[in-house]
Amino acid sequence: MRDKIMYGLGALAILILINDIIHIMGLPDEVNQGAIFKIIFFHVPVAITALTAAAVALIASVLFLVTRNFFYDALAVAVTEVGLAFLAANLVTGSLWGRVIWGVYWAWDARLTSALVCWLLYAGYLMLRHAIEEPTQRATFAAVFSIFAFIDVPIVIFSIKWWRTQHPQPVFWGGGSFPSDWLPYFLWNMLAMLLIGAVLTMTRLRQEESQRELDYLRRLAHSM
Amino acid sequence: MHLITSFALLLQPSVEDILLEKQRLQHNYEFLSYGLIAAWLILVVYVLMMVSREQKLKKEIAGLRAMLEEKH
Repeated sequence: MRDKIMYGLGALAILILINDIIHIMGLPDEVNQGAIFKIIFFHVPVAITALTAAAVALIASVLFLVTRNFFYDALAVAVTEVGLAFLAANLVTGSLWGRVIWGVYWAWDARLTSALVCWLLYAGYLMLRHAIEEPTQRATFAAVFSIFAFIDVPIVIFSIKWWRTQHPQPVFWGGGSFPSDWLPYFLWNMLAMLLIGAVLTMTRLRQEESQRELDYLRRLAHSM
Repeated sequence: MHLITSFALLLQPSVEDILLEKQRLQHNYEFLSYGLIAAWLILVVYVLMMVSREQKLKKEIAGLRAMLEEKH
């Protein structure tokens, strides 16, 4: 049943994306930035998916520390790994947009730097998990680290408000100028990215269950 | 009148201007495609890594199960 839901959601996300990409390519170029502006249809949805993943990881980590239920630990690692892939896509698309508009791939401004720090923190979370053998200790340390890492997420979001940055202000709030007739395509892309994120998390979660089964079988083999 | 016509002619973009604008637009499309390819490539590589990990896990579980059954 879970597999059917996963495949169904994945197929739905791909259909939405194909339909949306066809429509986006047909849209006229933006007046000031030209064609490169259309990268926003992917850059922002992948960022929102990555930050949603970080929020889910925070909730799962807190729930693990409260309940000691390993399902929450598995959920935290699954969603963190998926979020990391989305954040990488966000950094790369942003960097390529910067090359065209700013003339450089990277600028050490507050938004870009905090997003890179966020990526490094969550990569550190995954490395920490690899470094600890004992499952309970690993899950506890990782949960605490995940809660600590989440401190960077509000900094990423509000950095453009708190500091004067080279990164543009948000186009949807705070005086942005996103064309209103382009908004439905953006929202469909947003939905598709969130669906892809959910499907990947469910797949990764299933792998964590298999990993636990494997650990159990290894312990059983050792005790024999 | 003649002065206005001459001024209007001066304001018209030159061939060089048009070529530069064409180049800018091509550059824009080129980087848009790089961005989209890179974003999808990252996600596809991640999915492939996941598929390979799943196969490895299944293989290891099956191997251990077979070994445990043999011992029984």
